[in-house]
Amino acid sequence: MTKQNFLPFLMLYYKELRRFNKVFIQTVLTPLITSSLYLLIFGISLGKNINLLNNIPYLAFIIPGLVMMGVLNNAYQNSSTSIISGKFSGDLQDLRVTPLSNHQIIWALALGGLTRGLLVGTITFFVGQIFYFVNYGSMIQVQNYLILFVFMIIGGLSFAMFGLSVAFWAKTFDQLSAVGSFILTPLIYLGGVFFSLENLHPFWQGLSKFNPLLYFINGVRYGILGQTDVTLWLALGVSFASLTVIYIIAWHSLKKSNFTRW
Amino acid sequence: MSVPLRIKGLVKNYGSLEAVKNVSFDIQPGEIFGLLGPNGAGKTSIISCIVTLEEPTQGEIEVYGYNVAKEPRKAKYKMGTVPQELIHHGFFNTQEILEIHSGYYGIVNNKERINYLLHKLGLWEHREKKVRQLSGGMKRRLLVAKALVHQPKLLLLDEPTAGVDIELRESLWEFVRELQKEGVSILLTTHYLEEAEELCDRVGILNHGQIIKIGETKKLIKDLTHRKVTFQLKTQDKGLEHEYKITIEGDRHIFSVPYSKTIEELFNELSLTLGDVKDLSIQEGSLEDAFRYLLGGQGE
Ligand SMILES: Nc1ncnc2c1ncn2[C@@H]1O[C@H](COP(=O)(O)OP(=O)(O)OP(=O)(O)O)[C@@H](O)[C@H]1O
Ligand SMILES: [Mg+2]
Repeated sequence: MTKQNFLPFLMLYYKELRRFNKVFIQTVLTPLITSSLYLLIFGISLGKNINLLNNIPYLAFIIPGLVMMGVLNNAYQNSSTSIISGKFSGDLQDLRVTPLSNHQIIWALALGGLTRGLLVGTITFFVGQIFYFVNYGSMIQVQNYLILFVFMIIGGLSFAMFGLSVAFWAKTFDQLSAVGSFILTPLIYLGGVFFSLENLHPFWQGLSKFNPLLYFINGVRYGILGQTDVTLWLALGVSFASLTVIYIIAWHSLKKSNFTRW
Repeated sequence: MSVPLRIKGLVKNYGSLEAVKNVSFDIQPGEIFGLLGPNGAGKTSIISCIVTLEEPTQGEIEVYGYNVAKEPRKAKYKMGTVPQELIHHGFFNTQEILEIHSGYYGIVNNKERINYLLHKLGLWEHREKKVRQLSGGMKRRLLVAKALVHQPKLLLLDEPTAGVDIELRESLWEFVRELQKEGVSILLTTHYLEEAEELCDRVGILNHGQIIKIGETKKLIKDLTHRKVTFQLKTQDKGLEHEYKITIEGDRHIFSVPYSKTIEELFNELSLTLGDVKDLSIQEGSLEDAFRYLLGGQGE
């Protein structure tokens, strides 16, 4: 990438940052509240009665899941609302009439989503640590930061790109929210945020293995707790493959898409 | 040498609707070209194809020799566009929008140009307002500023004066003329035919997706319209019968004379001399007349 090509890309990324910066309170406060609620209800109230095989507290078990859920949801939200609001206001067409290429648009929006996702993931993690400290008098020791970040980054990029593809494809606002509630939310919840595969009926265990989110979430769990339901290499492989597939989908959806306003 | 814009055999269909049917034309360096036509004629569709917002069904478009389908980025650095529809930007103010837009062209420090445009387009006092705080005409001028941040050599204006008051309309056209002097070539659409007549070196008239006439504005008017010549005579004894005569109003004899005939010839054919004439007025044909004539002939 030459300098002249790199700058338009940087500007779009910068604009994405500015955009969510203008709603910063919402960006920070919302995950603070939702993750606190989850930790309170599931981690502490219900969690007392849940026993996991390796004797880790249930609270510790769900923290990585909640972290990744925050990353994925926010990455998806950020890029999809950016596109959709651009379709509403009409400024999406600026991206087409200026020299930005499809690849630049994908990467800038994906990085924008990832940045917000990582921010939310980090906040969620700290909230989790506070809860853990209050309950057990110590902090969770992160086992492997490298692996933790690799999975958060792959997950965040994938979901931001997915959000972008869906938003470009959607002809109405309903279609966008339908994908959110009928596809994403179930996949996230069934991806092992709140439970371990071991506790499932073998049939559901088998089915869950087809959910790519299982690998994203378990990768993060490995990074934080050092243990996972699936092997690390499998999780890495599936995650990279998912990212590649989603990138190709995003690229196609941009090539076919219309940038004119709704 | 490559021309600013070359359109060859452009076809644009929306489903079964043929919005643009085999349109071809060029824009020469430094010229102002008016693309005129009634609502739904296909003007915006053509512009959308040029700026790659729509994909042509068929045909080729080149901007300074760069095929917009094959080398879109090179073509896009060369052109700026003002869309017909107003654009809103949720979060940013006027100045920020122009900075961001410059960035899309890879220009980081564009303060000077942006300030120049803000002043030029009467937006300086409104530079810290969000788009929704601007009036319709100001929004339109913001779009013009956006189109010009990167100093394009080809400017596409899709009804830039819709909703702009008369004073600002004049200053906007003045600005367009200035740009022309700087060597910018301009394609514009407008429904104000008087302004088009004053401004455009050439016009293309589009109807139902087809160019039905293209040429120099002055020549087109000459070819397609007549002059209205009115005499008042000193005495009433002359009959003044002639094929060009259309009516008599009181003592005023009114003729519709094609540009191929000089006033001298008309005088001779009527066997009149200037001495017989008390008063004489000549009304030149207008682009609007030519436009009406063309569209009337097409069974509009
Ligand atoms: N996105 C679209 N989908 C379907 N039909 C369209 C679309 N855009 C334009 N059309 C149709 O194509 C034809 C040409 O429209 P276009 O907007 O190019 O006209 P125009 O000359 O710009 O008109 P106006 O003077 O009203 O702006 C019209 O019949 C219009 O209904
Ligand atoms: Mg139009």
